[in-house]
Amino acid sequence: MKLDNYLENELEKTLASLDGIQRAEANPYLFTRILAQLRKENNAREKLAGLLTQPVVALATFILIIAINTVAYFSQSNDDNQPPLQKDEQLFASEYNLSGTTIYDQTLDQQ
Amino acid sequence: MDKFILIEKLKRGDEEAFKQIVESWKDLVYNTAIGFLQNAQDAEDITQEVFLEVFESVKNFKAEAKFTTWLYRITVSKALDHLRRKKRKKRFAFVQSLFGPNNETVVEKPDFNHPGIKLDNKERAAILFKAIDRLPENQKTAFTLHKIEGLSYQEISEVMNTTVSAIESLIHRARQNLKKWLTDYYKGSGSSQVLKP
Repeated sequence: MKLDNYLENELEKTLASLDGIQRAEANPYLFTRILAQLRKENNAREKLAGLLTQPVVALATFILIIAINTVAYFSQSNDDNQPPLQKDEQLFASEYNLSGTTIYDQTLDQQ
Repeated sequence: MDKFILIEKLKRGDEEAFKQIVESWKDLVYNTAIGFLQNAQDAEDITQEVFLEVFESVKNFKAEAKFTTWLYRITVSKALDHLRRKKRKKRFAFVQSLFGPNNETVVEKPDFNHPGIKLDNKERAAILFKAIDRLPENQKTAFTLHKIEGLSYQEISEVMNTTVSAIESLIHRARQNLKKWLTDYYKGSGSSQVLKP
C-alpha cells in the first residue's frame, strides 16, 4: 500500500516535470546558415539549367530522340512485312478444338 | 513590421522580410523540433529545413490561415519524417546484423536534457522524455505540442486538423500510456535510484 502510494506520487511528479518549461533557443546564426543553404541550392539549380541549355546537350538530346524514333519506325515496319501466322478463324478453331473430324463428316464418308 | 506585410514581402522573395520571419519564429520551430527529436543537432537541421520550405512554399500560404499554425504543421511533419527515417535506418542495421558481422557499433540513445528545464527537474524530465519517445505518433504530437510548446487544445486541433474532443482523447490516452511505461520503469531495475519508499 505504502509502495503504491509512493509509486503514484513518483508518477505524478515525473509527469509534472515538464511544467514551467522554458522555450529552447535556436542558434543565433541560424539565418546565416539558412541563407548559405538557400544560395547553395539556387547555384545547383542554375548549374543544372545552364547545363541543359548548352547547345551540345540540346543537340545530343535531339539526336537521341531522332535515333529512338528511327529504331522504333524500322522495327514496326519489319513486323508489318511478315505474313500473319494464323488467321482469326484458325485461332478460334484451335481454341475450341474444332479442327478434327466431326460426326457429320463421318456420315458423309459412310454414304 | 506587421506579420501580413512580412509574408507578402516574402512572397515576392524579399530577403530582409525572410530574415525577420526567421528571427521572429526560429525559437518556436527549434523548440518544437527538439521536443520531438530529443537531439539538438537534429533539431537545428530540421529548423533549417522548415524555413527553407517556408521560403519555397510561402506562395501557397493562404492569408486566412494562421501563420504559426502553418509553421507548426511544417515542423511537426518534418520532425516525424525525420524520426521515421531514423527508425528505418535502425531496423535496416538490425536486419544487416542478422546476416553477418556488423562493424557498426550500436549506440544506445543517451538521456535527453531539454535546455529549458529547471535543474531540479532534469532527471525526472529525462525519464519522461524516454517515455514520450515510445508514444504513437499522434499521441506524441498532441502531448508534445501541449507540454513543450504550451499550446491549448484548440490550437493543437488546428495544427493537427482535427476536433478539440479528439485532442482531449489523444492527450488522455498519452497520459495513460506514459503512466503505464513509467510504472514499469520505476518497478524495474533502472529505477533503483529514484524509487526509495
